[in-house]
Amino acid sequence: MAHFFLPSCVVKNYELLEHTADIGIRVKALTLAGLFRKAGLAVKSLSAEKQKTQYPQKHKIVIIQKADTLEELFVNWLNELLSKAAVEGLVFEDIRVKQVNEKFIEGLGIGSDIRNYKINTEIKAATYHQLKVQKNGIVWKAEVILDV
Amino acid sequence: MSEIKLEKIDDYRWRIPRSFKPGMRVPGIIYADEKLLKDIYQDKAIEQVANVAFLPGIVNYSLAMPDIHWGYGFPIGGVAATDIAEGGVVSPGGVGFDINCGVRMLKTNLQYEEIKDKLKELIYALFSDVPTGVGSKGDIRVGRKEEKEILLKGAGWAVGQGYGVQEDLECTEESGAIEGADPEAVSERAYERGKAQSGTLGSGNHFLEVQVIDQLYNRDACDALGLDLDQITVMIHSGSRGFGYQICDDYTRSMIHCLQKYNINVPDRQLACAPVDSSEGRQYLAAMRCAANYAWANRQCLMHLTRQTFERIFATPWHKMGMQLIYDVAHNIAKVEKYVIDGKEKKLCVHRKGATRAFGPESPGLPEKYKKLGQPVIIPGDMGRNSYLLLGTQKAMDETFGSTCHGAGRVKSRTAALKSINANVLLKELESKGIIVKASGRGTIVEEAPQVYKDVNDVVDVVHNAGLSKRVCRMRPLGVIKG
Repeated sequence: MAHFFLPSCVVKNYELLEHTADIGIRVKALTLAGLFRKAGLAVKSLSAEKQKTQYPQKHKIVIIQKADTLEELFVNWLNELLSKAAVEGLVFEDIRVKQVNEKFIEGLGIGSDIRNYKINTEIKAATYHQLKVQKNGIVWKAEVILDV
Repeated sequence: MSEIKLEKIDDYRWRIPRSFKPGMRVPGIIYADEKLLKDIYQDKAIEQVANVAFLPGIVNYSLAMPDIHWGYGFPIGGVAATDIAEGGVVSPGGVGFDINCGVRMLKTNLQYEEIKDKLKELIYALFSDVPTGVGSKGDIRVGRKEEKEILLKGAGWAVGQGYGVQEDLECTEESGAIEGADPEAVSERAYERGKAQSGTLGSGNHFLEVQVIDQLYNRDACDALGLDLDQITVMIHSGSRGFGYQICDDYTRSMIHCLQKYNINVPDRQLACAPVDSSEGRQYLAAMRCAANYAWANRQCLMHLTRQTFERIFATPWHKMGMQLIYDVAHNIAKVEKYVIDGKEKKLCVHRKGATRAFGPESPGLPEKYKKLGQPVIIPGDMGRNSYLLLGTQKAMDETFGSTCHGAGRVKSRTAALKSINANVLLKELESKGIIVKASGRGTIVEEAPQVYKDVNDVVDVVHNAGLSKRVCRMRPLGVIKG
């Protein structure tokens, strides 16, 4: 049975963490930009299942966030993606990170009309609960609990 | 898995001593019996009760109801009151993203025998008429000026539009609009995110359920409320949708900075908070109240749609079917209420995160018709078992800041549910019990399967026996629509 109806190409990009009420994810990447991109795509994959494309037009949305710490930046980034997608009625099929450091990120969400998707699980927000964003050796790793 | 050994106070109360975590300002108390305690030990909810005890100004105890489970920041099923005059704080995480998620129950004068042959048609019609699911949009379209009216007037705005009657407002907590809402405290983004979502049910654990009363516990109360065996009732569970999520996000971001500014030490950043009596605290409460009013307007609109559907299916005006609102309660909210603490009346900020107000008889804020009875408390269960109507008690006023449980409480994660439950088997099981389910997606049905929840009967046994609220009657589901 398909869990959360994940496309196979995305399954490998994150792990699910057990949580009674909500959903936790762990993502890993070799770069900080990759980490933020993978986390954004993981959130999308958890909730949205592609259907037949009826509305082919793509929408590019610029996402810019600032924060005092890397962990805050990570939560702000995910919440901004969720918020922008909801407001614009989009699902971000791809995400590009133009530049990122510990306190600033500029990225691009490539959005497809939400009507091209079936939404299985509504992700309300990313939370700070048990949040981790750190570099172990050469690998960046993040863990975050999402309110669903 | 929690390793703490709880101290038994009596059969239904368990203490977390302050020594469990240095920094706890008060002990924790969990309402549960031995059976439920086994589930409670399985996740990190106990630690979260202890974490809440760090909040500045917290009074008496960090409390947890028997439906407690692991959340983020606060546990779900948590209650905490802070003393405003003593620097007590308000925490957006103590309310949650779905501000004023809540439930309302309306009765009908229809009997099960009268509707059983039309039940399927009714459930399918409700599913068609009531917008459900993520990204769903309602028929209610308003401009910015009117949007602000919704934030100030709540359910009263909906009644003003013809979506209900004055009596509905009397039977809604805060009469459907809490005072102190300030639309200027709401971000532009929240307005955008909430636009067009009024009158939509949402997804996840939100639902609209047609039920039948299958057990009476308090004959006098049932008579007073006009309830009897085999009578059809309807329960609606929804919240403030994207509007509330955005307000919580906006203010959690800003309150992270308040931890340093006000020298507040909490073990979880999702407990970010600010003194109620600070510009940040006041701003959050003003915005949170806007979302609370938005949610009450939303549930009023959903009830209106429900009444319209019943009218169409049974070709009878709703008032002739006796479709009156019993009550509407919030279970994710922070409210300023007065309690006597150590002989002195104090103004407290009561956080109910997955907990229901359960005011006893003669409490302020109750409508005249419920003054003697106490406040109706609505406890939805899962889609395969039962739901309850209870009444608030004086004991709840004395022990839990007028609070009780809010539902069954999850015991199994969504991922575990998806691994172990088959949607087709589940739907057949429900069908064999006479329960019709209509949902936007099969994933939702599995994630919300009865086996992922505690048995609501066990939860209600605890609050009843502990005296936090008293059983009036029990319902069983006939048909449910979900997002």
